[in-house]
Amino acid sequence: MSYTELSVWTRGIIMDKEGRDIVNSISTSARKEGKHAQSMENYVDNPDRTNCPTRKYCRVSDTVLENELTYENDHPNIVVLVEGTMVKGWDYMRGMPPGGTLVINTHYTPEYMMRFVPGADRLAQLVCVDAAKLADHKWLYYRLGQLGLDRLSTEGAAERSKAIAPDIAAPLIAAVVKTTGIVKMETIQPMIANQKAFELALHELHILPLNPVAA
Amino acid sequence: MATAMETIKKKTVRINGCVASAQAAKYADVDVIAAYPIRPYTATMMALAQMVANGELDAEYIVADSEHSQLSIAHGASSSGARVFTGSSGVGVQFAYELYSPISGSRMPVQMMIADRTLDPPGDFGSEHTDALSTRDMGWLMGWSCDAQEAFDNHLMAFRIGEDRRVLLPQMVCQDGFFVSHITTDVELPDPGQVKEFLPPYKHPYPLDPRRPVSHGPQIMPEQGPPLQLERARAMEGCMPVIEEIHEEFARIFGRRYDAWLEEYKTDDAEIVFFLQGGHAVTARFAINHMREKGMKVGMVRLRTIRPYPTERVCETLSRFKVVGVIETNMGLGSVSSGGSLYAEAAAALYESPKRPLIMSFMAGMGGEAIVLKEFYWMAQKMIDAQKRGKIEKRTHWVGFEE
Repeated sequence: MSYTELSVWTRGIIMDKEGRDIVNSISTSARKEGKHAQSMENYVDNPDRTNCPTRKYCRVSDTVLENELTYENDHPNIVVLVEGTMVKGWDYMRGMPPGGTLVINTHYTPEYMMRFVPGADRLAQLVCVDAAKLADHKWLYYRLGQLGLDRLSTEGAAERSKAIAPDIAAPLIAAVVKTTGIVKMETIQPMIANQKAFELALHELHILPLNPVAA
Repeated sequence: MATAMETIKKKTVRINGCVASAQAAKYADVDVIAAYPIRPYTATMMALAQMVANGELDAEYIVADSEHSQLSIAHGASSSGARVFTGSSGVGVQFAYELYSPISGSRMPVQMMIADRTLDPPGDFGSEHTDALSTRDMGWLMGWSCDAQEAFDNHLMAFRIGEDRRVLLPQMVCQDGFFVSHITTDVELPDPGQVKEFLPPYKHPYPLDPRRPVSHGPQIMPEQGPPLQLERARAMEGCMPVIEEIHEEFARIFGRRYDAWLEEYKTDDAEIVFFLQGGHAVTARFAINHMREKGMKVGMVRLRTIRPYPTERVCETLSRFKVVGVIETNMGLGSVSSGGSLYAEAAAALYESPKRPLIMSFMAGMGGEAIVLKEFYWMAQKMIDAQKRGKIEKRTHWVGFEE
């Protein structure tokens, strides 16, 4: 019997869709594989404001989810930081059981990022992926004017494009799926819009193995 | 010619309660939408705005300057014969209070979606039913859904019930904020043809029309008051068979059958039952399954419609058990039980029963806190203790604040 919690930390409005795409695509894939899965926003983080930290959750289980109505992931096995500087400032590791995975969007190495991670002894691996570069991203902060047209707060979520992961979410999803196997690669890959960034990421992950948990 | 089954184009989508409500309004082909934002129901209006903008729904979408204006717009639009959809949450529901009685008094079948939010202070997004429940005696049909599918279905049924010539009453279709409004589940959207069959175009008998002048809501003399109030009371009381009939027809057309008044879960041999309404029923069912594995005779009765209140059904049903634990998720400060308002009504309904169960009130899920499994176990234990003792220890327990 397996039960996995995935928590995604992202920044309000400008990277809100990225966070949502990660949890939504993974939960959809898990359901396609016959598992029980849900994805949701952190209810009190919303309505989000530009740049404010907001959390997105995904739960995947072999059995029916009895905690479907609880607000937060109390024990995340996998944590994703959609924006690298979030590594400082919040205890995103809170509640993580031993054997966890942390995925960060950054051009730094995991060896460098390690120093900022609180409670890193619970990690089985630290994964860094330069998602912005792989997705050939004109960095988000400089595009606020354009983004304002496409991106309202989560409660509105009025994107012009219904594409899943056209942007920096694609390499992050690749990183999560390849390093944790939370869902099968062949289930999730077809639904990703930015195939190029997804493929690139599979070969350009920087993985630092840490404390494995004996099975 | 294809058979009816072949032409039905249903689809299953993964949506939350807010979007399910918006979808229901779209399927009902509403004419006027009166919006004003407040969490958590906002997402419903956001979704409807997109539908109107995309040309999927042909409706007047009016953004009001407050909830009071929102309901005034709804009242006016309904008077002109339009099918009207509006909604609110928490303090927004309260700010529109003046309009509830006039709308039901002029017998306008406005539909209002409520995604519950705790009343201030302090600001809290979480779900408590107090917002809508505080308007429960204003002449609106009212009931709670426990998931997105039921919310969708309840909206369609409420339009049909409220617009029935034998009823003509406004409807509050309520769902818990977050527990229903923001939790995504699979929802089956019907074929538009099914909805057409179920919900005919709305036609008010006396709309405001310069070609056929009528007066709505004029000033009256006091002696004209009682007959009008009696009419409204009769409409509320008399709609009970209509509600049952329409639930039956819904089951025939859509294949989903709901008891109009109560859902019973594992009550056949139950000695103690939770009595509640809304989304917490989802967790209650899991808790009951686990307790049953340990041999505890526990079940759940969920109130689906609170206005009109199914007094006889509640009395008959709850009289079958030894102990009833009312889970309030609402505030009735200084009320009969010093707890919530569900207790008072359940106890009143049970008064004439020759076989009254013990009844107690649990203040749980206050402020919109999730009621977790172990809290259901705790409540069940209190009920078992009362059963052994043959009397309750006290009327109201605040869950999480007692040993």
